[in-house]
Order: sequence, then structure tokens, then C-alpha cells
Amino acid sequence: MNMTVAQSAAVSSARPTQPAGAKRQMPHVPENANEKISVRNLKFYYGDTLALKGISLPLYERKVTAFIGPSGCGKSTLLRILNRMYDLYPGQRADGEVLLDGENILSPKQDKNLLRSRVGMVFQKPTPFPMTIYDNIAFGVRLYEKLSKAEMDERVESSLRRAALWNEVKDKLHASGQSLSGGQQQRLCIARTVAIKPEVILLDEPCSALDPISTAKIEELIDELKAEYTIAIVTHNMQQAARCSEYTAFMYLGELVEFDETSRIFTTPSDQRTQDYITGRFG
Amino acid sequence: MSNANPFYGRRKSRSNLMMGLCMAASLFGLAWLVLILAALIWNGFSGLSLDVFTQNTPPPGSAGGLLNAIIGSLIMTVLGVVIGTPIGILAGTYMAEYGAHGKLSLVVRFINDILLSAPSIVIGLFVYEVMVVRMGHFSGFAGAVALSIIVIPVVVRTTEDMLNLVPNQLREAASALGMPRHLVIRRIAYRAARAGMVTGVLLAIARVSGETAPLLFTALNNQFGGANLNGPMASLPVVIFQFALSPYKDWQQLAWTGALIITLSVLTLSILARVIASRSRQ
Amino acid sequence: MAGAAQAAPGRTAVLRKFRLGNLLFLNLTRAAAVLVLVLLGGVMLALIEGASPALREFGFGFITSQSWNPVTEKFGALAPVYGTIVTSLIAMLIAVPVGLGIAIFLTELCPTPLRRPIGIAIELLAGIPSIIYGIWGLFVFAPFLQTTVQPFLISVFGPIPLLNAVFAGPPYGIGILTAGLILAIMVLPFITSIARDVFSTVPPVLKEAAYGIGCTRWEVVKNVVLPFTRVGVIGGVMLGLGRALGETMAVTFVIGNAHKISASILAPGTTISATIANEFTEAVGDIYTSSLIALGLLLFVITFIVLAIARYMLLRLEMKGGK
Repeated sequence: MNMTVAQSAAVSSARPTQPAGAKRQMPHVPENANEKISVRNLKFYYGDTLALKGISLPLYERKVTAFIGPSGCGKSTLLRILNRMYDLYPGQRADGEVLLDGENILSPKQDKNLLRSRVGMVFQKPTPFPMTIYDNIAFGVRLYEKLSKAEMDERVESSLRRAALWNEVKDKLHASGQSLSGGQQQRLCIARTVAIKPEVILLDEPCSALDPISTAKIEELIDELKAEYTIAIVTHNMQQAARCSEYTAFMYLGELVEFDETSRIFTTPSDQRTQDYITGRFG
Repeated sequence: MSNANPFYGRRKSRSNLMMGLCMAASLFGLAWLVLILAALIWNGFSGLSLDVFTQNTPPPGSAGGLLNAIIGSLIMTVLGVVIGTPIGILAGTYMAEYGAHGKLSLVVRFINDILLSAPSIVIGLFVYEVMVVRMGHFSGFAGAVALSIIVIPVVVRTTEDMLNLVPNQLREAASALGMPRHLVIRRIAYRAARAGMVTGVLLAIARVSGETAPLLFTALNNQFGGANLNGPMASLPVVIFQFALSPYKDWQQLAWTGALIITLSVLTLSILARVIASRSRQ
Repeated sequence: MAGAAQAAPGRTAVLRKFRLGNLLFLNLTRAAAVLVLVLLGGVMLALIEGASPALREFGFGFITSQSWNPVTEKFGALAPVYGTIVTSLIAMLIAVPVGLGIAIFLTELCPTPLRRPIGIAIELLAGIPSIIYGIWGLFVFAPFLQTTVQPFLISVFGPIPLLNAVFAGPPYGIGILTAGLILAIMVLPFITSIARDVFSTVPPVLKEAAYGIGCTRWEVVKNVVLPFTRVGVIGGVMLGLGRALGETMAVTFVIGNAHKISASILAPGTTISATIANEFTEAVGDIYTSSLIALGLLLFVITFIVLAIARYMLLRLEMKGGK
């Protein structure tokens, strides 16, 4: 991080077509925005392959940060580090620091289950559990909380309402979660994540398997959720990033090329590669 | 136009000949199934009566039933499956979930595959050495243990295979809720793989319900029935073996009837297993 | 909202419970996996222990001696070993070409709607308990051979030197040949279903490419399918061989239980497993019992080697397919 805020502000006012390599890593620090998560010099290895080459960026509290970039650029990898999902697989390893409220979650002392209950995740394909709609939600809640039947009913309902699914399923809460349509399943997964009251929600291409109408619903939902949660979303779809995020990180070949307010990334990117990518010249 | 080319014609007729042979081989293979089933039904049905299910095995030269053998088989099969299934499922779980890439799994997978097709009579000798000799007598319990050793590799194999079919996304999704690994396995992976695992257990039951060799010198036989696990116990396969090789017509008839009963139950179990498996695939 | 607040006492207790539960379950499953290893080791050790009196008594001669005399307590394994090998060879001679033929039919030729039912029927054939093959062999198949096939073989090969010794009468019905044929029927479905699975690993592109240059069906099978799957086919064949070597009940019914080595395959003989099944419960004396267990050990070692080779071959094909 060799650039000051002042420098990056100066750079950002330059024309977008400046030489590649002149990176601008720090955006404007917004007023009254906390760094919920700070990623510092993060490296990630799949076996011997270096997949992330020293990434540093903040995720601001109650903001939506979008990660864009061509396939294989490391954006999903980065997301899967934030809740240590990579730990499920042998041979995957992360170096550097990821601070959640100032504590390094990469430390071996970090309890992964606790971390994941604080940092929820929604995946590319809808993944309803093989159980009823009600249990899909109640299941995660029961892990950490002892609720009475009435409290649980209330929690299930409020989560489903938050995920804009309540009206569609309220009469069939005890049908199988897998009987829902793809878009409904994805909203069920969001409800399930919201129900355990995480602080951060990670969305890994949540709409790539959905039709446009379901996509629109999920995007609306993201917009509502950011009032309470810190959200990180990986997406292939640049319009989506532009529509629903406040900050955007453009990644390329395991490096963070540019991180800034979304409006600036899409109007006045400082790096040639970002410019090329958002104008569809590659990727 | 191709007929005009004699070289191609020769190749073509050669191909037809070989394919014809393959088809003949299939008919040949299927013919045995038909022949064996026909003989079973022909010989077995004529002896099928209520007595078969209500009377014990008779002394030489007189009529009787297979009650004690059927009960003995049921008890030992159930007990063998009850002992073998949990061990098999746990071992299969380790290999698919915790130690999927570890050395231990690699070795166990290999050994398990060997056990899966190891001669069952050797299992009988093993249990004889370990249990019958130590206890000083044959017992239904020893028979059940021998059967459980046959159940274990079957269940290990299907459990591992079926858990491997559960998409990793499901595990990730469960983990992402902060669910610890053991609950992810027990509540999510098992549930998703349930049908396949049930199929595996059914196939294991089918496999052991016809097993004779491991029972010969563990449970032995018992003319008088009784459900005492601590003593020798009759079983259908062993009774069939003894009666079929006897010179008495009544006994031979009972052997045929017993064979029919076993075959029908084994076929029913296998078909049931297949139905469950194909249902779950949809 | 801070992390410290989230890991409140209630949660800490829950997290500890999770860690303990996971540790417990992990070790439980690991113990079960180890038990599978222990089982095989146990089988090996128990057999070695049980066989040691006989092996000490007879030494290496146990394998090379043909005598099997409970009265003088002189035991040698040669006759059963010979019977085991010859019956298995007969079985493989028939089952391998037929089994591969069926597999080729199922993967290349069979109309799709018939594919599943025939496949299932073959697999059901594999599920029929061996004692059923035994009783059928004894009461139906052996008399049939005795009255038709065997007299025919004797009369056809009678005038031919050497072969007349292999097919020397009288036609007993039961004997080495009958046992071999029953074994062939028994291992057929195993070979078929493995070969079918193995054939289906051939990438369709390869076959299409061969058809594309004008190969006939048989040429595709011979030049593409078989070479591509050779290792797996050998593995499947070895697996079938392992079955045939260890099969007990079907053989015991029809082999005739004669502890001698005859040149004629129509004569009664015995196999390792049939000898054990027939004599074990009636064996009196430690050396007799121990000799039977030594036979079991021998069988186990032989099948272990064959099955290990089979698994290794199948594993190699799997890894090839994985890439």
C-alpha cells in the first residue's frame, strides 16, 4: 500500500486511459464507514499454485462490495477465504491477514464454525438441504440458539419475509425445499443465511443460475439487506455490479487491479485493464 | 456402392459375424438365468406348503418343514446386518468425508475391495478360530459375526460411493452456516445419500442371506430349532446343503423348497434395492 | 457487534460441544476404518496360527504332496490345489469370451430399451446365492451332462491320442468339468458387468472418430474399445478369477470330493474350498484340522494375490479415465 489517499484521489481525476500498471489501490475513504473486514497482503495457494498474489482491500460495514473480473481471476477464491471455506479441502492455504473487526480470522485459533456463523455465504447454485422449507431455515438457527416453537416460527417467517419468499411458501412450509423453483431455492438459501443473523454475507455469483425475473428479485433483496449487513458479491455480470454495489474490486490473474467506488470504476477507471474489461474488450 | 467393393464386403461380413457371436453370447448368458429359475420353480413349488413354515426340519426319511432353518437364518442375518452396518457406514464415512485423500483411506479402500471378494469360507475359518475355538462350541452368535464380516465391505463400499455422489456444494452450504463437520455429515450428507445407502444395506442382506460357507463351521446346524444364540443354530443354506446331499427324497424336496425361498427373497431384495436406487436418482 | 461480544459464554459452550462432537465422530469413523484393516490382518493371523501345526509338521511338502490320509495323518495340498486351478481355468476359458461378448453386445449393439433389462437380468444372475447353483448343478445339470455331453465328448475324443486321456470316461456327471462349467456360469455375470462398466469409460469421441473413417462395428471394438480398456478388462477377468478360485458351495455339490489328481477332466476331484467345506466339521485330530486351515490359508493367499492384481489394474484404468 504505497499510495496515500491524496495520491489516489489525484490519480482518479486523471483520464481513464492511463498506462497499465499505475495502480490505484485506495479509494476515497467514505465518511462514517467502518472497515468491517480488512484484507492485508493476502496470498493463496492451491497446492503449489499461487492463486492470489498479495491482495489488500477493505470491506466497508453495511456496504455492498462487488468483485468482478474474468473467470479464474481469483474473485471466488478471495470470497471463500473470508469464511475459510477453503479449509474443507486439503492442500489449500492462505497467507497474510484478514481482519474481521480487527481480529485475524486466518489465525489457527479462529474457530471456523463461529466464523462461518458470523460470515454467511450464498452459493452460485441454489443448495437447499434435503428437508422441508421450514427445516432448511430452522436447522441453522438451532445450531447456535435455543428457541421456543413460537420464537422459531417467528424467526422462520421473518427470514422468509426478508428474503421476499414468505408469500410464495407460507402455505407449504413443510414441503421439501427441493420442490421450489430455482429462483425460490436461491431466496430460500438467502433466508437460511439471514436467519442465523450473520454480520457479513458473501454472495458467490448468486444469480448466474437464475432467470432474469429471479435475478431482479435477488438484486432488490441485496439492496434491502445492506441496511443491516456487510455484503460482498462476486459476479460475472457487470451491470449487476454497477446496479447493486457501492464499491467494486476488479481482479485479474490473481491480482487486485483496481478498487474504488463503483460509480468511479464504471465511469473513470484508472487502469487500462479495467477499462478494457468493463467495455467488454476481454474476459 | 459399398457392395461393389469386395474388400469392404469381407470386413462387413466379418463384423456381422462377430456381432452375431456377441448376441449369441448374450442369449447364452440369459438362458442360464431362465433355466435355473425354471428348475427352481418347477422343483421348489411342488414342495411348498404350510408345513414348510410351521414345522421343524424332520429326521431322515420323514416329512417336515423348514421353520427352525428359516428362523435361524432370519436371526443370524438380522444380527449380522445389525453388527456390520454401523461399522461399515462409519468406515465408509471416514473414507469419503474425513480422510478422503489420506493414506489410511487409500489402504482401507484397497483392503476393503479385497475383503469384498475374498472367499467366504475363509471368513468362516477365521470366525471358527477366533470364536468357536475360544467359546468351546458352535453358536448362532458366531454365525452372525461371520455374516457381519461379509456385510461390512459391501456397506463400506456403497457408503463411500454414495457419499462421494453428494455434491460438495451441499457440504459447503451447510458449513457456511457454521455447522460443524460431524453435523454436516450426519444431518446433511447422510440425508442426501440415504437412498443409496439403504440400497447398499439391502444388497448386503441379499448377499448374506444366501451365504452358506461361513455358517458351516460357525453356527453349524440345529435339528430342533430354538433361538438360543449361544448354541448351534440352523440356517436355510446349511440345511439345503445337508439335505440336498442326503439320499432321502423328503430331504431333497425340502432342499429344493428352501432353495426357492432363498432365491425369491434374494431376488426380491435385489430388485427392491434397484428400485430405491433408481427412484433416488430422479 | 464486536467479535468478542459474539463469542458470548453461550456460544463458547456451543462451540466447545461442536469441537468435541466432531472430534468424537472423526475418531469413531477412523476407528471403524482401522477395524477393516484389523479384520483382514486378523483373518491372516488367525489362519497362520491355525495352520502352523500342519505347516510345521509337513513343511514345504504340504504343497507338493498328493496324499490326503486322515488315518495316517499325512496331508498334502496338491490335489485340492490342482482341482482349484483346473476348475477355475475351465471356468475362465468359457466365461471370459462369453462375458466380453455380452458386454460388447450391451454397450455396442443392444437397442437402448433392452439395454437396462438385460443388464439387470445379468446382475440378478450375479446375485443368486452360490448354493442355488450347487443344488441346480447336482440335480439338473450333472445328470444332463452325464447322459448327453459327456458320452459325446468321450466318443469324439476317444480315438485322438492325448485328448482321449483328458476326456477319459466313465461319465460320472459330477467331476472337474462339471464344477468348471458351473463356475463359468457363476463368474459370467461378474465379468460381464465389470466389462460393461469398463467399456462405457471409452470416450464416445474416440469411437465416433473410428466410425468416421469407415470402421465396421467389430473393427471399432477390436481397435478402439478393447485396446483402450485392456487394463480394466484384465482387472475384471482377474476379479472373476478370484471369485472362481474361492467359490465354495457350487463346487462342493458337483466336484465329487476325490482327493486324487486324474488326467481326465470328467473324473471327480476336489478343490481347496470344497475340501474344507466337506471335511472341516468332521475332522478329528489337531493335525487334520490344522491341515484344513492351512488349505484355507493357501486359498486366501492365492486369491489375495489375484484380487490385488485385479484391483491394481482397475485402479489404473480409473486413473486413466480421470485424466
